[in-house]
Amino acid sequence: MDTPTAFSVIALAALIHTSFQLGVSMVTLLSGHAIGKKLAAKRTLRLVGAFLAGTLIMTALVISTLTYVSGVFFGRDVTPMAWGTLAFAMIIIGVVVWVCYYRRGPGTLLWVPRSLAKLLSKRIHATQMSAEAFSLGATSVFTEILFIITPAIAAAFAIISLPVSLQLIGAATYVVVASLSMLVVAAFIGSGHNISRLQRWRETNKRFLQFAGGSALIVLAFFLYINLVVTPVVVARAG
Amino acid sequence: MSALATVIKRGRRGPESFDRAKLHDSVYAACLSVQSVDGLAKDTAERVCSVLTDWLKNKPEVTSSDIRRQAVKALEPLHPDAAYLYKHHKQMI
Repeated sequence: MDTPTAFSVIALAALIHTSFQLGVSMVTLLSGHAIGKKLAAKRTLRLVGAFLAGTLIMTALVISTLTYVSGVFFGRDVTPMAWGTLAFAMIIIGVVVWVCYYRRGPGTLLWVPRSLAKLLSKRIHATQMSAEAFSLGATSVFTEILFIITPAIAAAFAIISLPVSLQLIGAATYVVVASLSMLVVAAFIGSGHNISRLQRWRETNKRFLQFAGGSALIVLAFFLYINLVVTPVVVARAG
Repeated sequence: MSALATVIKRGRRGPESFDRAKLHDSVYAACLSVQSVDGLAKDTAERVCSVLTDWLKNKPEVTSSDIRRQAVKALEPLHPDAAYLYKHHKQMI
C-alpha cells in the first residue's frame, strides 16, 4: 500500500469511528448536568476537557495496541487473506449499524443495553471530579469497541504499511480525526451554545448519521477488498 | 390536597408523596442547562410547580411519568428549549 492510500484509509477509518455517537451523547449529558448543577464555567470545561482526554488516550491506546499486534503478526505486509477477512467483518458491522445503531422512538437512544445506559447516565449525573470524567471518556470508547474495532484494525493495517518515520503521524491522525465529533461538541459547549439545540440537531439527523456510518464502513470494505485482495491476484495471474 | 398525592415510581422503587421541591429543582436544573439566567430559571420552575400543584388537586395517585408529561406541557410555552431537554434527557444514550 502506498503512503497516500494508507493515509486515505486511516482518515476514512477515523471518520467512520467519529460517526459513532456514544461519546457525543455522554459529553452532551455531562455538560448539561454540570451547567444544571450551577458548576462554574471553568469547572464544567475542566470536566469536559477531562472527558475528552479520556477518549483521546483510550483511542490512542486502542490504535497503538492494534498496530503493535498487527506488526507482530504480519510485519509490514498484511496478507490478502487478513484484508479479505477484515473487509467481510466490516460489511457485517456496516449492516448492523444500518439496522440497529439507534433504537426506534424519540431522542437519540443508542444500541447500548438499557441497564448499561442507565448506569452510564447515573455515573455522568454523579460526576464531580475530573478523574471521573476522564474514566467516563475512556469508557465511552471501550463500550463502542464492537463498532470501532473494524475501522481501527483497518487503520492499524494501514499504519504498519507506512514507513517507520510516518507511523506515529498515521496513528496521531487516526486519534485526532476519530475524536473530531467530540472536539466539535466540546468547542460548541465551551463557546456557550445551547445544548438543547445540539441535541435537537442530533435527533433530527440521527438516521442520516446512522446510514452514513454504515455505508462508509461498507464502502471502505469494498475499497480494501478490491484494492488489496482482488488486484494483487489479478496482477499475479496476468504475470 | 396536592401535597398528599402519592407518586408511583417506575421499577421496584416504592411510592412516595409528591415533592414540590424535587420538581422545582429538576425544572430549575433543566432551565440552567440551556443557559437560562438564574432568575428566569427560578421563576419558570416556580410557575411550572404551581401548574402541577393545581393539576394534582383531587388526584390521590399519579405516576412519575404523568408528572413528567404534565411538567413538559407546562414548561413548553415558558421555555421550549428547557422543555425539550426535560423531556429527552433520559433518551440521550
